[in-house]
Amino acid sequence: MSTDDATTVANDRLVDREDMIVCVDVDKWYGDFQALNGVTATIKEGEVAVVCGPSGSGKSTWIRCINRLEVHQAGDIFVDGIELSNDLRNIEKIRSEVGMVFQQFNLFPHLTVLDNITLAPIWVRKKPRAEAETAARALLDRVGIPEQAEKFPGQLSGGQQQRVAIARSLAMEPRVMLFDEPTSALDPEMIKEVLDVMKELARSGITMMVVTHEMGFAREVADRIIFMEGGEIVEVGTPEHFFTNPTEDRTKLFMSQIL
Amino acid sequence: MASNPPPSMHHERPPLYRDVTVVKWVVQVIALLMVLGTLWFLAGQAGDNLRASNVPTDYDFLSVNPGIDLSSGIDTDPDTGGRALWVGMVNTLRMAAAGIVVATLFGLLVGLSRLSNNWLLRKLGSVYVESLRNVPLLVQILFYGAVFASLDRVTKDVGPINGWFHISNKGLSMPRVHIADGFYQWVVVLIIGLVFANLMRKRRNAQQDATGAETYPLLSAFGVVVFFAIVGWFIHPIFGFIGNIFDGAASAISALPENVLQLLIAGGSLGAAAYWIRGFLNSRRTPAGLARLTDDDYFRMIFAAAGGLLGALFFLVLWPGLSSWFINSGSDFFEVLGNKFGGGRSGRPVDVALPEIVQSGKFPNYGPSGLNFSIGFAAVFFGVVFYTAAFIAEIVRGGILAVPKGQTEAAAALGLRRSTALRRVIIPQAARVMLPPLGNQYLNLTKNTSLAIAVGYSDIVQVGQTVYNQTGKTLPVVSIWMFFYLSCSLSISVIVNFFNVRMRIVER
Repeated sequence: MSTDDATTVANDRLVDREDMIVCVDVDKWYGDFQALNGVTATIKEGEVAVVCGPSGSGKSTWIRCINRLEVHQAGDIFVDGIELSNDLRNIEKIRSEVGMVFQQFNLFPHLTVLDNITLAPIWVRKKPRAEAETAARALLDRVGIPEQAEKFPGQLSGGQQQRVAIARSLAMEPRVMLFDEPTSALDPEMIKEVLDVMKELARSGITMMVVTHEMGFAREVADRIIFMEGGEIVEVGTPEHFFTNPTEDRTKLFMSQIL
Repeated sequence: MASNPPPSMHHERPPLYRDVTVVKWVVQVIALLMVLGTLWFLAGQAGDNLRASNVPTDYDFLSVNPGIDLSSGIDTDPDTGGRALWVGMVNTLRMAAAGIVVATLFGLLVGLSRLSNNWLLRKLGSVYVESLRNVPLLVQILFYGAVFASLDRVTKDVGPINGWFHISNKGLSMPRVHIADGFYQWVVVLIIGLVFANLMRKRRNAQQDATGAETYPLLSAFGVVVFFAIVGWFIHPIFGFIGNIFDGAASAISALPENVLQLLIAGGSLGAAAYWIRGFLNSRRTPAGLARLTDDDYFRMIFAAAGGLLGALFFLVLWPGLSSWFINSGSDFFEVLGNKFGGGRSGRPVDVALPEIVQSGKFPNYGPSGLNFSIGFAAVFFGVVFYTAAFIAEIVRGGILAVPKGQTEAAAALGLRRSTALRRVIIPQAARVMLPPLGNQYLNLTKNTSLAIAVGYSDIVQVGQTVYNQTGKTLPVVSIWMFFYLSCSLSISVIVNFFNVRMRIVER
């Protein structure tokens, strides 16, 4: 572990905040392959944490463990004080507090943009349709595509689809947002529009955990950068620390390759 | 005005034999005429040859008593050949309809079990599919037939519940619910109930949308229908006046003058052509006015006009009997309705008849009062259902596997329960993939019921074969078979396509 321990706080503004995501010694195997090896980290409420590292380093696996899309085999994960265990009630509670945005958007192609966004509020939160639709239109406004509400996902560009996906997650009013390489499937000119939405979101004070290769984004909005390799957390620190003098050799190598 | 284009830009018409549009249309018209001519020639030749070798091609047998008994159906002792074939058709349709419903449900179960996490269910599903779809259907039907034929012989007290439910080597016999005198008036009440149920469903849906509270729209609509059914049971005689309305319609139709109707039909043909041409012109119109029509467009309009004219001539000259047919069958139809719905029929809507076992000759048998399923029916039914279900199971499995894993993950990440995700996200998408091959299986099932001949179930093929063995009218019977199966298949295709189009995913 580096100079800056993963469980300590990077940014002064977060010192008094409560712990939102706590991972203690999380292990995960696929057959013989160990994808996560003793991952320990704490994300504070309102923190923006960027997870980076080479492909196959376990970033996506880790973030997918946090809302139980993957099942970790050892260690403990707590989200907002709720333990992620085999208890179905806990899983449901955590999933309704944690929003997730995928690399491939995963919008529902048979539903309009509006129906995509209102589906979960209506069927999980039991909201009246009219109320859910008003909220959905407000969210579409927030991500900058209010005019696309009646269209189907197949009629939108990649960047627009990803913004709908963000709006869809936000509709559940989550306290934590997980982003799993949200811009990796996009054309360069569409990356900016998605990143702009994410920056706005970061400033709004929601807890965010972002797996990405967009180091510009990390430098601008991240409170902390977590660098992973081979299923382990190698180094944790502020963006400034990472961009000026990373401690570990592997981090230096990685930063030199992507900058 | 714009200046004149340079000389090279003038549209110079090529000679007709080099004009793409003209050549295209001329070639198509010639090809059409050649095909029609060939068919005409072949049909004439076939007719001549058949006449020369004395093969009968007439349909007289339809109105002659064939002197045959059928093993099962709405009328086991038909008095004309047409009636016999009709009974066969009803049997085939019954078998196909029941088979499609049960095979779909069963196939769904097997398909889902092959995807289950439960090892035993998964293996059972695999064994079922692999064994059933790899044995010819005919063998399976014969097998079931042999199994059912080995049941106890029918006697007065064969059981298991005498007087209510019998199982024997003659098949199954159970109480039958049948239409009684007051049925049609009761249906009127039911239809009114359906209207109210629909209103109720819409209201409840709106309520659910407005408040978010679960209002069970379908359940309450069903409740309304049940309420009307119960009330209608007692008050249906007051709807006898509906019969008078139908009687009035019947007499109004028979009062129509034939010649006027003939002219109307011919006019309809011309009108249809005119309507099409008008719509076509409108579709070519730009906001600024009439757009330039291409040569293709002129050809199309000429053909439409010629078609309308030919149709009018056809109805006026070649088929003058059409109007009287319209008048007769129309007034007959409404007369029948008037009779069915008419007053003075105030009995119960439906009645129940208990099964009975009669002994007219040497051996006892099931009487006609109960609802009887022969072992032939059972053998064919289980045969086509189990066989088709194996294929449907694979279609279901494929359809669900075809929905990307990301969809399930996205639904889970949003906090949707597994059942909600299935209903709202997975199944709507899987259904799109499943529908076309499912339609194929429905067609196969319908056509496969013709194997009923192997166990003597009176489907259309078995009845038809008996009829032509008696009368020698092979070709006419075969033509009726072909026409019947073609109509069934096309109807199924139309229904499946309708849903297919409705569920298409919008892209771009």
